[in-house]
Amino acid sequence: MNKDQAWLYALRSEPSPQFKEELRAKLRALEPARSEVRREWPRRALMATAAMVLLALVVSVPGVRAQMAQFLSWFRVVRFVAVPVDASRVARLKAENLEIKTLIGEHVEVVRDPGPAVAVGSLDEAASAANMTLALPQWLPNGTQVLETVVAGEREVRITADGRRLQQVMDALGINDLAVPAGLDGNVVHVKVPPVVTIRYGHGERRSRLVQALSPEVALPGNIDLRALGEIGLRILGLSAEEAKQFAQRIDWHSTLLVPVPPNARSFREVTVGGHEGVLVQHQPRNGSPTYTVIWSTPERVFVLLSTESWDQVLAMADSVR
Amino acid sequence: MIHLTVHRILSQMTFEQALPRRLGRWLAAEPDWDQVYAEQLPRVLNFFRYRIGNTAEAEDLTARTFEKAWRARDQYRRDMAGFATWLMTIARNVALDHLRARRRLEPLEFAAAVVASDRNPEQQAVLQSNAERLGELLATLPSRERELIAMKYGADMTNRAIARATGLSESNVGTILHRAVESLRMNW
Repeated sequence: MNKDQAWLYALRSEPSPQFKEELRAKLRALEPARSEVRREWPRRALMATAAMVLLALVVSVPGVRAQMAQFLSWFRVVRFVAVPVDASRVARLKAENLEIKTLIGEHVEVVRDPGPAVAVGSLDEAASAANMTLALPQWLPNGTQVLETVVAGEREVRITADGRRLQQVMDALGINDLAVPAGLDGNVVHVKVPPVVTIRYGHGERRSRLVQALSPEVALPGNIDLRALGEIGLRILGLSAEEAKQFAQRIDWHSTLLVPVPPNARSFREVTVGGHEGVLVQHQPRNGSPTYTVIWSTPERVFVLLSTESWDQVLAMADSVR
Repeated sequence: MIHLTVHRILSQMTFEQALPRRLGRWLAAEPDWDQVYAEQLPRVLNFFRYRIGNTAEAEDLTARTFEKAWRARDQYRRDMAGFATWLMTIARNVALDHLRARRRLEPLEFAAAVVASDRNPEQQAVLQSNAERLGELLATLPSRERELIAMKYGADMTNRAIARATGLSESNVGTILHRAVESLRMNW
């Protein structure tokens, strides 16, 4: 809130507990008027949503969030295809000690390790450390302040493909109608991620985090059959043979990565953020405040905004990032 | 080597091609209405406080708005941000109906309810005085300006959201709000 406008908020206050409870009880007593005809989800929204990166879902889910932190830092700037995860498959992989993180981790060589992210004293310092101008929200909820700014340096890794382990995963899940592409073993994917700047905001108990980075460079040998690998990935995540085949045929695997969408994420929708397509994701932890995540990209960088503000506030913040 | 950069994907796909059945099922999950209620109730109530003034009426109109929305909530199961916009549309219509039915604006009686109980007497007195004064000044504004002020400072909407809801351009919203705030400030 702008100080010289504080008087304009003089009428605002929270609803009284009595009113809140009485209205809630009244609403609960109403017979739900379930419409027989469900409104068709807008075609364009579904298209874009299905096609968008739902990285946000991953980071918004406790347990997965920490596990995926490293993964996200490498691939945050690449568009993903959202694929809901079949929870039973995750359990089966765990039982076989074949968690995806473990599989990746065994074959990653860190070429350049910047070490832990470093807290800096100011946004200017962050921009200087990351060697880029920072895009910042021009609107924040009243009373919001920057709590911390951290910069992670450039990271460079090489990931070596292991067809044998992939076959183990497929065997464990009973995927026996597909074969690991020949010649996969030993191929190397090279990933270079520019510095990542994270700005933490807060007011009261509400917290927000804006993450931004320039686009990374990813390179891999041209002889890898990405479509075949993609189809296997879709099956591993739980799509049926028919779904996976259909999906795999239509995705440009040269610009797409799959992102597992945990089944307990609450909702998401397509949004426009500063003129760019994005996705707003809601997750409601069992014993905590709901979190909202907006992820969007511009031609030169990708942004992720995580927040415990209400979704319209989060969207307003994201929309004002310049 | 194939170099990958960030690009739009699936641009050639139709909805049926792009959406696996599993994703469709997942989309159909129920949103957290308790959370919706907790987040939207203060926004709607404060909208009415700014738009109408009287606290008892504001609560009544808020209840009416939520009842209307609740009865038709199935239409907005997934589009949560759309739900907030829709709720505000209902609130605006409820306010208009109410104002049409009311022959003239009544004196504002909301100050006591506005002041939070956890403040000391001195703070309460200042807030009450400010609330009363602001309420009086709001009552002098033209209807459209007052509505935009209610959306901006009561419902905490951005200029862009107000523009979407009202059909005005964002710059027009900014201009009207600026004019209204200046008018209020001059008489404060």
